[in-house]
Amino acid sequence: MSGFSAALRAHIERAREWGRNEVRPAGLEADRNAAPLPADHPYFAKFVDFRRRHPSPAEDDTISEGSAVRMAVLNEENAYWDRGMGVAAPGPGLPAAIVAALGTPEQRERFLGPFRGAKEPRWGSFALTEPGGGSDTAAFRTRAIRTDRGYVLRGSKCFIGNAARADWVLIQANLDPEKGRAGQRAFFVEHGNPGMTGIKIEKKMGLRAYESVSFILEDCEVPHENLLGGEQPARTSQSSAYGATMGSLNTTRVGVAASAVGLARSAYDETLDIAKQSGSIKSARVRDRLEAMRRRLRAAWLMTLRAAWKADEKIPNIVDASMAKVFAAETAHELATVGMEIVGLEAGAGDCLVEKLFRDAKALNIVEGTGQIQRIIIARNLVGLPR
Amino acid sequence: MNFSSNDTDDMLSETVRRFATEELRPKLREFEARRSVARDVQERFESLGLAAIDLPEALGGVGLGLSSRVLVNRILAEADAGAALALDRFGPAAYVIETFGGSDLLERYRDLLASRPETRLALLIDVDAGTVLEGPVRGEAAWIASGNADVLVCLRRDGAWVMESGFELEQARGAALHATGASRIRYGGAPAHVWRDSTLAAQAWAKVRLYHAALIWGVLVDAAGFSRRYALERVAFGKPIAHHQALAFLIVDMEIAVERVGLLIADAARLIDAGMDGTGAAASAFVDAVEASRFVGPNAVQILGGHGFMRDYPVEKAMRDSRALGLLAGGTDAAQDDAGAALAPANPMEFAA
Ligand SMILES: Cc1cc2nc3c(=O)[nH]c(=O)nc-3n(C[C@H](O)[C@H](O)[C@H](O)COP(=O)(O)OP(=O)(O)OC[C@H]3O[C@@H](n4cnc5c(N)ncnc54)[C@H](O)[C@@H]3O)c2cc1C
Repeated sequence: MSGFSAALRAHIERAREWGRNEVRPAGLEADRNAAPLPADHPYFAKFVDFRRRHPSPAEDDTISEGSAVRMAVLNEENAYWDRGMGVAAPGPGLPAAIVAALGTPEQRERFLGPFRGAKEPRWGSFALTEPGGGSDTAAFRTRAIRTDRGYVLRGSKCFIGNAARADWVLIQANLDPEKGRAGQRAFFVEHGNPGMTGIKIEKKMGLRAYESVSFILEDCEVPHENLLGGEQPARTSQSSAYGATMGSLNTTRVGVAASAVGLARSAYDETLDIAKQSGSIKSARVRDRLEAMRRRLRAAWLMTLRAAWKADEKIPNIVDASMAKVFAAETAHELATVGMEIVGLEAGAGDCLVEKLFRDAKALNIVEGTGQIQRIIIARNLVGLPR
Repeated sequence: MNFSSNDTDDMLSETVRRFATEELRPKLREFEARRSVARDVQERFESLGLAAIDLPEALGGVGLGLSSRVLVNRILAEADAGAALALDRFGPAAYVIETFGGSDLLERYRDLLASRPETRLALLIDVDAGTVLEGPVRGEAAWIASGNADVLVCLRRDGAWVMESGFELEQARGAALHATGASRIRYGGAPAHVWRDSTLAAQAWAKVRLYHAALIWGVLVDAAGFSRRYALERVAFGKPIAHHQALAFLIVDMEIAVERVGLLIADAARLIDAGMDGTGAAASAFVDAVEASRFVGPNAVQILGGHGFMRDYPVEKAMRDSRALGLLAGGTDAAQDDAGAALAPANPMEFAA
């Protein structure tokens, strides 16, 4: 991609080669098996080795682009090959930023340290959603009760990415329900904790490459040191723990938008290829639809990059990020949907990439704030929509 | 990859914005009624140098690129798209003259415009023109967005011609954009210049499309903004109508549509300014602007309810103006054809520096 620094382009090229050779086949395998790749699948060991040989773009200081643009560009490329495999990738994942921002120095060392230069695949996980409600975070029921020995967590969580294989799951629970949402804190629950029970790997329509896990917290005990941010009430991070957690979702939102763009580009490329091969591209109607897809893809990518660029420039980007998230997610869905129509019956036969993307894409308008929630965020800023 | 604006454009925007809010917006309905822009407004526009922003510096212009032009057109159209057309006496015809005739011919028509303050160039896009380009050219067009014209410039797929006499205009009522007037035109003269070159025609057309797309963009920015502000003041069922979710989401979706149009227009302009082939991108941007206008224009009226239907508010004008603008520049079907034709080689992820 021109317009980016040579150093970033080199990362994109590497991700592209890796994506074509490794990610895409693994993603298709998981999709056909209708089950996540097992944690001991050779792909993951290979991935760890790949990461050890090639530092992640986040740590490459020869790249001139800021961190948000880097993330957007790489997420886009990775999701092009398989979004599900991107989430399945070993690493601390979504909560890494939250732990880095809110964790005590000891917690950062204890929970993020093992990931640095890890020789074997390991995962982190973040559990917010509950069966009783995902969008309405004030309705979360999971409780945390302080005891002499630590904390006891009671409640349940659902659809949590990588939670069954993770070294630890960062779990949102309310320590002080009187305070409502502000009483919510996050707790590390380590792998094998007997209080984390009823573990169920969900069967999904799409994004099958990674596990989405539902579980119950049955008097789940964790030591005091597992409260994210520590216990001292004086810590500033503590008073705003809920806000900071939500704020970090604001950053990852642009990343999800970029992934949606990657998925959309995948649907576009595949559809265009098929239309060229079949000759249907000669039909003005087909060509017009492809053009509308391409145009929408371009707009979604520009919107996403602008949101990322603003983040790097420290320009407020809440509206941009939400706009990019909802527009890109709906673009991915739209492109895969129309793509299937252009592909025709072949898309109904069950072995067509565009059809897989159609199932995968839907989730992007649900996770990390549904399309409706994004519109609410934008409307709050645009017209002061009351809470 | 950079989304920041440069100082020149910031300064330019500020000048145009001040001019548009002081001189155009308050006189919106006055221009409409008189079917032209008052002479003193025209003079102020030209004395600010706004008529010549993308004319080469050697010809006394400012020499800014298409990126600046689309910005200026957007801001002018936020105030009044009809006035924006009226004020630009050279108009998008300049792109045809420059592309085919080079700076010599551009200079000639610039001098003509400078010597006669009422003179205008009219641009006609003859999408379905046959192949004959010898001798007198005959034809007619039901609408050009101008009340008068001294030079008729015609852009076709395979070339262009310029006619200085042998055509006549008949006043038309006009559906919208009244500030610039409206005419039917009949022509049958021998062109002063004839060119045949479909590549150059495509290049000129790209600029013409972006010129008009930017006007649509401006109208939509205003329609979306105006209806949003109204929705915050208007109360129904005990709260501002903007706080009913159905309208809040509609407002958000209108905003997204306007953003996407703006990004695509600026993107295509950047491409052309960078000397790359922007014909497909410009055609796409035009189609997108027209599609957005179908959504944003009528919904701006909808948000104002019955009031939106009345001429007391500018949204009915925005709905009409944006609809009419979409018929210009050769229309959306031709743009869709060109956008589709450019599909294969274009990589949607590439960036011009
Ligand atoms: C594949 C996948 C992976 C996931 N991974 C994780 C994970 O790793 N960790 C995690 O914590 N969660 C995860 N989730 C859960 C996800 O974050 C939630 O599903 C999401 O936040 C929506 O919550 P919900 O499903 O409870 O829907 P609800 O909140 O019940 O929403 C139902 C519908 O109501 C709409 N709605 C809700 N409130 C409003 C309102 N005020 N106005 C208008 N409409 C409204 C929603 O937009 C939606 O359309 C995952 C989900 C999926 C599908």
